[in-house]
Amino acid sequence: MTITKDIIKRLNKILGDKSVLVSRTDLMSFSYDATSNWQGMPEIVLFPTDIKQISEVLALANENSIPVTVRGAGTNLSGGSIPVSGGIVLCTSRMNRIIEIDAVNFTATVEAGVVLNDFNMELAKQNLFFPPDPQSYLAATMGGCVAENSGGPYGLKYGVFKHYLLGMKAVLATGEIVSLGAKTIKNVTGYDLPLLICGSEGTLAVVAQATIKLLPMPEARQTVLAVFNDVITANAAVSKILSRGVRPAKAELIDNWIIRRIEEAAPLGLPVDAEAILLFELDGAVETVSMEAAKVVELCFNAGATDVREAKDKKEADNFWTARRMGFSAIYGNAPTALAEDVTVPMDKLPELMERIKRIGEKNDVMIVTMGHAGDGNLHPCILTDKKNPEHYARAQKSTQEIFDAALELNGVISGEHGIGLEKRRYLKNAMPPEAIELLKKIKTVFDPRGILNPGKIWE
Amino acid sequence: MITPQMKIDPDRCMKCGFCMSVCPVYHVDHIENHVARGRNVLLRMVRDNELTIEDDYRECLYSCLLCRRCDAVCPANLSPADITLEARNDVVEKKGMSWIQKIIYWGILNRRSLVARFVGLAGLIPGLSSKGGRPLHHLADMASFIPGVLSLPRMSLRPLRKRVSMVTSPPPDVKERGQVAFFPGCIFEFFLPDVGEDTVNSLAKAGFSVVFPEGLNCCGLSVHNAGDFKTSCLLASRNIEALEPYDHVITGCATCGSALKDYHKWFREGDPMAEKAREFSKKVSDFSEFLVKNGFNGGSADHCPTTVTYHDPCHLRLHQGVYLEPREILNSIEGIKYLEMDNADACCGLGGSFSIAHREVSLGIQDKKMESLKKSGAQAVVTSCPGCMLYLAHGIRRYKLPMKVMHISRLTR
Repeated sequence: MTITKDIIKRLNKILGDKSVLVSRTDLMSFSYDATSNWQGMPEIVLFPTDIKQISEVLALANENSIPVTVRGAGTNLSGGSIPVSGGIVLCTSRMNRIIEIDAVNFTATVEAGVVLNDFNMELAKQNLFFPPDPQSYLAATMGGCVAENSGGPYGLKYGVFKHYLLGMKAVLATGEIVSLGAKTIKNVTGYDLPLLICGSEGTLAVVAQATIKLLPMPEARQTVLAVFNDVITANAAVSKILSRGVRPAKAELIDNWIIRRIEEAAPLGLPVDAEAILLFELDGAVETVSMEAAKVVELCFNAGATDVREAKDKKEADNFWTARRMGFSAIYGNAPTALAEDVTVPMDKLPELMERIKRIGEKNDVMIVTMGHAGDGNLHPCILTDKKNPEHYARAQKSTQEIFDAALELNGVISGEHGIGLEKRRYLKNAMPPEAIELLKKIKTVFDPRGILNPGKIWE
Repeated sequence: MITPQMKIDPDRCMKCGFCMSVCPVYHVDHIENHVARGRNVLLRMVRDNELTIEDDYRECLYSCLLCRRCDAVCPANLSPADITLEARNDVVEKKGMSWIQKIIYWGILNRRSLVARFVGLAGLIPGLSSKGGRPLHHLADMASFIPGVLSLPRMSLRPLRKRVSMVTSPPPDVKERGQVAFFPGCIFEFFLPDVGEDTVNSLAKAGFSVVFPEGLNCCGLSVHNAGDFKTSCLLASRNIEALEPYDHVITGCATCGSALKDYHKWFREGDPMAEKAREFSKKVSDFSEFLVKNGFNGGSADHCPTTVTYHDPCHLRLHQGVYLEPREILNSIEGIKYLEMDNADACCGLGGSFSIAHREVSLGIQDKKMESLKKSGAQAVVTSCPGCMLYLAHGIRRYKLPMKVMHISRLTR
C-alpha cells in the first residue's frame, strides 16, 4: 500500500470527491482492459477534468513514488492500461471536449478523453475525415489511441495515428505541462517529441490534448467482396491489385471458420465452403471509385476468385462490414478465453505465415481463427482456449510463442497495432536487439526518472 | 446459434466496450461498473467469489436504466439488460427485499386502490406533495421513497376509472370498426387522468369502442425491474386474466406497453403461463402503433401549438421498435409543423426509480435532452410515455424553456 490516508485527502482536494473512487467494487472495475487474461488492482481511481489537475496529481505521485497508469476507455488489447503495480489509475474519460476543428487548415485539437467515434461524427458534419480506425473506435479515446499508436483497416491506404499527429499538450511525470509539436503539417524543430510519445503506451508522459491533421471526406465509397478457394490465391489477388496501382482503403481477410459462424448467426449468403473472403473498400472521387471497383472485380476474377460482388448499396456494404466485425463475437461465443494476436509480416510473406499458423494449430491441437488486414500484412490469429483449463491454456500459450517465432523468422514484428503492454513483453527480447531495448530504457529514465508512469509495461 | 441461455451468459462478454458508446449512464459519469461491460465483469467476480454481494455491487446492478441500448450494439449478441435483471433477481432471492418494498409490492398486488389512496393522501400532506416537496413517484417506485427534489403533479382526486365509462363508444358520426380494451397504467390512472381520457377519446374517434376493463393492475414493470420476479409474474398473470376476453389491448403508456409485450419473457420456461403470455403479448399495441395500423387519416387538432417535436421513449423505440408511427401521426395532422430534433431518441433520464436513486446522473442525462429540446425551437414536445412526460416537464421547468409537454393523444382526440 503506497497510498496513505493523507495522500487520498490531498487527491480529494485536487480533484473533488466525485472524481475519486476508492471502494473495492470500483477498484475491481478498473483492474482490466479488453484482453481476457490480465488483471491488476489499482489503489485509487481518479477522473481529472483539466490538465492542471493532471499536473498536480503527477507532482504528488512523483514526490511519493506512486505508480500512475493512465486509462481512457480501457479498450486496448495489450494489457497496457492495467495497473499491475497498483497505485493510481488516471482515467481521462471525463476530459472529453473537442477544442477546435479547423476546416481551413485541416487540423483539430481534442482532449484526451474524446471518443474516436464521437469525433468522427463531428467531423462528418463538416465533411472532414480522420482515417485511423482501430476497431474499438466506438469507445476508444483519442488519448488512448495516441498512446497506443492505434490503427485499423484504413492503415493500408491512410496509415495509423502517428501519421496524423502534429502536436500535443502533455504532462511530464514530474508534473510539468509541456506543449510539443505544432499545428503545422511540416515541422522539423528538434527531435519529434510528439512522435516519441505516440505509441509509448503511457510510459513517458500523460497526453492531455492532441493536435492532429485531417483530410477532406472522400466523395464516394464502394465495397467489393471476393470469395476464394484458398488463402494463398486471395493474398495473390491483393498483391496483383496493389501492383496495378489500385490502392484500396481497406482490404480485409476473413477465414473459413468465421464465415461459417457468421452464416450460422445472421446469414448473409456467404459460401460456407470458401476458404477465404476478401473485403475491399475503395474510396475517392466518384469516377475513380467506380473505375477502381471494376478493376478490383476483374483482377480478383483473374487471380482465381470463385465469386466477386460489388455491394449494391450502402445497406449491403454495411452488412458486409458488420460481418467482418461479427468475426470477434463469433470467437467469443465459442471460447471462454481468446488470445487475440497481432503479428505483422511483409505483405508477400502473409500466405506463408497463414500456412504456418494453420500447422501450429494442428500440432498443438488448438483452434486458431484468423482475420487480418490483407493489404498490410497485419494478421489477427485468435487462439480459442480457456484459462481455467491449465493444460489447454498452456498449449494455447505455446502456440502464441510459436506464432511470434514464425512472424519474426519471416522478417515480421510481434505487434502491428495493439502494442506490447503486458501481453507481449516477455517476447520483446526476441523481437528487438538488446542495444535497442537499452535505448528504450534510457529514454524512459529521461522522461520519468522515478519510473512512476505505467511501470511494468513493454519490457520485463 | 445463439440460445436464450447464451444471451444472458456474462462469460461471453469480450469487454470490447461497444456498450460504452451508447450507455446514457456511462456518458455522464464514465464509471466502468455503471456500464454493461463493467457489470458483466463484476458478475463474474461475484460468481468466482472474488467479490461478495455487498452494497456496492448492488448499487452497480441498480445503476442501469434498462434502456437496452447496449442490447442493440453488443457484437457478442448478449442482452446485458437481461443479465442485469437476472442478477437483480438473484440478489432479491438471496437477500430478500427491504420491508418497505415488501409492503408496497404486497399493496400493489392486493390493494392497489388502497395504496393509490395512500399516495393520494400523502400527496395532500405538506412536504410530501407535488409542489417542491418530497417525491412521490410511479406507484411501484415508492420502494425507493427517499428525499429528493423531483416534483410531480398532485395525485388526481378523481382517478381515470371514475372519469371514463366502462365502454366509450365512437361519436355518432363515426362508424364503429371494432372493440378494444384500454390498459391505463398507474400514471394515467392516478396522476394524469386527463391524458388517459384523451387516449380513450382518440381511440373512440378513430372508430373503436373502448372498454375500460375491471380488475386491471399495475403492469408490474417496476417490480420486475427491481428483481422481484415472483410478484411481477403475479401481476402479469392477473392482467392477462383480466384482459382475456379482448382481442386488442391498447395502451398509451410506452412503459406499460413494453411490459405487456414482454410478459412472455417474464415467466420461466415450463411455466404454463408462459404460453398464455405469448398469445397475450401478440394482441398488445401501443396507441400510435394501433392508430397507424388502422389507417389513421390525420384530421385537425384543437388548440394545438403550431410547431411540435417528438421525444422517443426508450420503452417505445428500443423495447418495441415503434418510432415511425408517432412521426407519421404528427406529420399528418393539419395545422401543425413537425420538427425532428437532434437526439430525439436520447433518454429523458427518468428510468423509474433510477431518477431518485441516482439523482445526479439522471439530471446529467436530462441536461442533454434539454439542450436538444432548446435547439429544436418547437413550441411543444410530444411523446408517448407518461413517465417521460413528467420528467420532460420537470426538465423544462428546470431550464425555464418556453415549451409544453404533450402526450400524442392530445393531438388526436
